[in-house]
Amino acid sequence: MPPAAPAPTNVKLLLIGNSSVGKSSLLLRFSDETWLPEDEASATIGVDFRVHRMTVNGKPVKLSIWDTAGQERFRTITASYYRGAQGVILVYDVANRESFEALPRWWSELETYVGGKDSGGDKVIKIVVGNKVDKEFSREVSAEEGKAFADRVGSLFVEASAKTAIGVKDIFEELVQKIIDTSALWDTPDRRTGAVRTDHGRGGVPGGVQVIGGEDHSASGCAC
Amino acid sequence: MTTDLPYAADAEVSLSFDELEVLRIQYAKEVESGHVTVQTKFNYSWGLVKSPVREHQVEGVKLLQDLYRAEPSRRRECLYYLALGHYKMGNFDEARKFNGLLLEKEPANMQAQSLSTLIDRGVTREGYIGMALVGGVAAISTLLVAGLVRRAARK
Ligand SMILES: Nc1nc2c(ncn2[C@@H]2O[C@H](COP(=O)(O)OP(=O)(O)OP(=O)(O)O)[C@@H](O)[C@H]2O)c(=O)[nH]1
Ligand SMILES: [Mg+2]
Repeated sequence: MPPAAPAPTNVKLLLIGNSSVGKSSLLLRFSDETWLPEDEASATIGVDFRVHRMTVNGKPVKLSIWDTAGQERFRTITASYYRGAQGVILVYDVANRESFEALPRWWSELETYVGGKDSGGDKVIKIVVGNKVDKEFSREVSAEEGKAFADRVGSLFVEASAKTAIGVKDIFEELVQKIIDTSALWDTPDRRTGAVRTDHGRGGVPGGVQVIGGEDHSASGCAC
Repeated sequence: MTTDLPYAADAEVSLSFDELEVLRIQYAKEVESGHVTVQTKFNYSWGLVKSPVREHQVEGVKLLQDLYRAEPSRRRECLYYLALGHYKMGNFDEARKFNGLLLEKEPANMQAQSLSTLIDRGVTREGYIGMALVGGVAAISTLLVAGLVRRAARK
């Protein structure tokens, strides 16, 4: 495509984390400024998707936000949506210790499917989000612990509540701001060499997905 | 700040040949060993339904139908992908039926809601094509008639 007119910059974001931590609720709060009553929220099936437009540094940005299912049963199929993400939102529930302790597992999943340092995966900007801070009375993970984890893995950190809307805008704004700032540094030469990011954030449109099937995907050629 | 209508991501994105192959081989292996796990069968049918190839979609829908019957715990996802599969094949009535069953249980389900929008749009589009065809046929027969009349007149 010719670099015509003031086309918006496309940015692909990914929401991951255990089931029930509130990924879909955060997205709904951010994109529609609404909140579904607790009993009406339903677990995501496979993957869900939203497009959202915003302005960063006076320029239009089109976000495609992929909301994946946290349920174990979808794990192999949701991983196929990881590729091409420029930003990842890693969510846990501050009132659920288990969801916090699952973060390292999500992290390694990311390295597998988005890529680690050697494949340019380290250019993907990450933000760790402690959701449900409105449940202060039943908090199981302190803000310090959350921040410490984020620092250790080199990611941004925000505490939020999809229910009260606290911190929700910050998640997306900080993340996208950093993606835009960072991409200004490497976008052009990267595109010229055709390295790493081939879909240029088009959001993993057809063909732009990663081999799935867990650890044995390297053996997919075997005719056993 | 504006938001586009939500849409069913799974309707648009398909797997590459290799990716589908991984799922197929896993499934075939389990069939051979005599024990197919629900997860493997589900993953393979999911991959098939997402494929742009019609035979794949048909096969995927068939497997999902088995799963739906055999695995009550997987009903909601089977309903969703059954609806999606039928939508992709252009069977809008079937698609609406399965999606409706899901919406009945989960009226607030956003994925089912957006799929429902897609199905409605699909029906409308088909309507347009239908009319265009009828319109085209009418135009052709007018030409034919005109030709016949003219030829007749030249005699
Ligand atoms: N109190 C409180 N409840 C929340 C908050 N965010 C989400 N919830 C509730 O937590 C439950 C799960 O929310 P979802 O958004 O569906 O969780 P999810 O992470 O998308 O789950 P999966 O789709 O299964 O991965 C729902 O009942 C929500 O109402 C929050 O900030 N505060
Ligand atoms: Mg969800």
